[in-house]
Amino acid sequence: MQPLSDAPRFPHTSRFPHLSHWLRDTTEDLGLRLIAALGLLLYLVFIVVPVFMSLRSSFTDENPLRSGSHWIGLANYSEMLHDSQLRDSVLFTLALAVGVTVVANMIGLAFAMLLDRTELSYRVLRTIAFLPQVISGVIVGFVWKTILTEDGLLNDLLKRTHVVHQPVDWLGTPHLAQLSVGIVVAWVLSGFTTVVYLAALQNIPRELYDAGSIDGANSRQQFRMITLRMVAPATTISVTISLITVLKLYDIIQVLTSGGPADATQSTAQYIVKMAFTSDRFGYASAIAMFLLALSAVIALSVTSILRRREVDL
Amino acid sequence: MLRRSAAALVAAGVLVLTACSDSGSGSSANGGGTLTYMTFNSPSLTPTFWKQSIARAQKDVPGVKIKQVVAPSTDRDSYAKQLQASGQFPDLLQSITPSQYTAAGLLRPYDQSWVDQNFLLPQGNAIKGKVYIPPTNSQIIPLVFYHKSLFKKAGAQVPTTWQQFLDANAKLKSAGLTPMELGGNDPFAAAMPLTGAISADVLGKNPRWIQQRYAGKVKFADSDVVAAATKMRTLVTKGYFEQGALNVSYADSIKNFNAGKAAMYPMGSWYLGSIPKDQWNDIGVFPWPTDDGSVVVPFAVGGSMAIATKVGDPAQATKFAQAWSLDPDNLKALIEGDGAYPMLKDKTLADYHVTVSPAFSDSYAYVTRTDTKVSSIGWATNDDALPGSGNNDFYAAAQALFNSGDVKGQMAKLDKAWSTSTQ
Repeated sequence: MQPLSDAPRFPHTSRFPHLSHWLRDTTEDLGLRLIAALGLLLYLVFIVVPVFMSLRSSFTDENPLRSGSHWIGLANYSEMLHDSQLRDSVLFTLALAVGVTVVANMIGLAFAMLLDRTELSYRVLRTIAFLPQVISGVIVGFVWKTILTEDGLLNDLLKRTHVVHQPVDWLGTPHLAQLSVGIVVAWVLSGFTTVVYLAALQNIPRELYDAGSIDGANSRQQFRMITLRMVAPATTISVTISLITVLKLYDIIQVLTSGGPADATQSTAQYIVKMAFTSDRFGYASAIAMFLLALSAVIALSVTSILRRREVDL
Repeated sequence: MLRRSAAALVAAGVLVLTACSDSGSGSSANGGGTLTYMTFNSPSLTPTFWKQSIARAQKDVPGVKIKQVVAPSTDRDSYAKQLQASGQFPDLLQSITPSQYTAAGLLRPYDQSWVDQNFLLPQGNAIKGKVYIPPTNSQIIPLVFYHKSLFKKAGAQVPTTWQQFLDANAKLKSAGLTPMELGGNDPFAAAMPLTGAISADVLGKNPRWIQQRYAGKVKFADSDVVAAATKMRTLVTKGYFEQGALNVSYADSIKNFNAGKAAMYPMGSWYLGSIPKDQWNDIGVFPWPTDDGSVVVPFAVGGSMAIATKVGDPAQATKFAQAWSLDPDNLKALIEGDGAYPMLKDKTLADYHVTVSPAFSDSYAYVTRTDTKVSSIGWATNDDALPGSGNNDFYAAAQALFNSGDVKGQMAKLDKAWSTSTQ
């Protein structure tokens, strides 16, 4: 009996095998082309066109409450150079991106190594580890706000265990609030990085470790010489995506601190929204958005390039 | 072939975009007498309140249908602007800041004779002489609420001057009590002392100050404003606010104060709606103190709904808005739940059949008395409303004063933000 996949789909043409193959290939091609075209259309409509619209807007004084706008050339970009609030938000965003990426990737790799087992209990733990990644940023923000406020779970725990006598200002002082935001975002991203590293670890042939053991390599040497080298491509993906995710972060911070106290945790994305919908400066907000896009692209390309070279070196 | 496909894709994309953005404005697009109405929810203005209040106003406008658009947060203005940007500006907008829209001609003024006929302060929230939200109610922002029992325990007196206020704080602290509660994690709440100090000290002496700031004749960095802002910094450095005040949410601050964890609570009069009945006799209220003890009332006249210029059926929309604005049941909910002072003509509190705390009655006296009333800075909805992101910048400056002694620098930042907003 012929397998189903090889059964002729156009029996009436089976006497003409070339025609049958041609029709099958053409139909499959058409289906693929349609799917590709739909994807391209969505990409065009929701990504490319808005980017170009935003680029055009960045050279104008467009205002959401006013119809029409005037071409003002590079004035918005020039203003950005002297905008101290923008500078602070960019510095905070960059620091957050670097810090969170390092921490989330270290946690992800550590978790992945701990969870690289096939037993049911480990599969359950893997699901738990991935949970932060699938929860909406808004919910994450609300939950952590409940944990970190004065009478929150964390302060309650610290007081009950006599670690502190007075509640800690997790969200009330600029540096602690920045640290708190970093911890929450790293927690969310660690779910993603764990999965990426887990997938990479599962592709490492056991024979490499066996050979390492025979050669007398201890656990640390095996980690450095085998594990780190074999997960290098995963590191490239995980680091790049983590960086991009944090550079455009909005929802978690908005709910957790609203950018406060005193704008200390205001991300660049939040500043864009503030300029657009509170200060009514669409044009200026678009210019900052273009800057953020360019900054993200440069960072992503640079980091990918560096890490790809590292993959080869390793 | 490839070029043709690409062209077709671009054309299709543009068509989709056009279809997305060209949604028309409210009723004209929906037709059939449907008005879109932007509302928001709060602990006292619940979905049930809106449902019932809309149903009552609809009875006065036969056939009108209301499509409610609920703002995702209490920041109605940002949401209204997002709706405008996407071509979905509502026909009716509840409790917005009209000054942000009037320059763009997005709002329709009410008939002045109707306003004059029905409200105590017809020009209370007027913009350049025109009324865009009926002045139905008012708030005092801030008042200082206090626990009489804690004051008694500490031997503190209710202050009228700034020095007496500092003395009371010192006595309370010496008695081992937390002098002041402040839900500083929410920037507007953190700014209550700054709002009080600048409204009382600066606007109290010069009620035209905000208009002069628009004209560039005065600045936040001027010595009188810096001196007023320094008062807030003094309260911080002396440790009169609760420990970690910026880590306390607004909701928690109400719980803390009601539980007696602090002796005083500077907050807008809307807190009156949150005083538990068993505390009615213990919680008193006084206005933010001035240097010489004169009473200055930082005041904001609120209102009901604004009507969009492009509404399909202006007559129907106006009739609905007027019915809603004059409905005593709506005012009853606002008085009891939101501590709003009613501003309808020819009515007494008894006419609304409300049950209010003694603190409400005491503070309502400041509305009816002839004390100096000034626009509460950062809260006014009339010509004294701050430009652009001015309110948010003001609140952020107040938070910054918790961690920075550079009061003049913070005020200078406000001047810079003002210039950016008005350029």
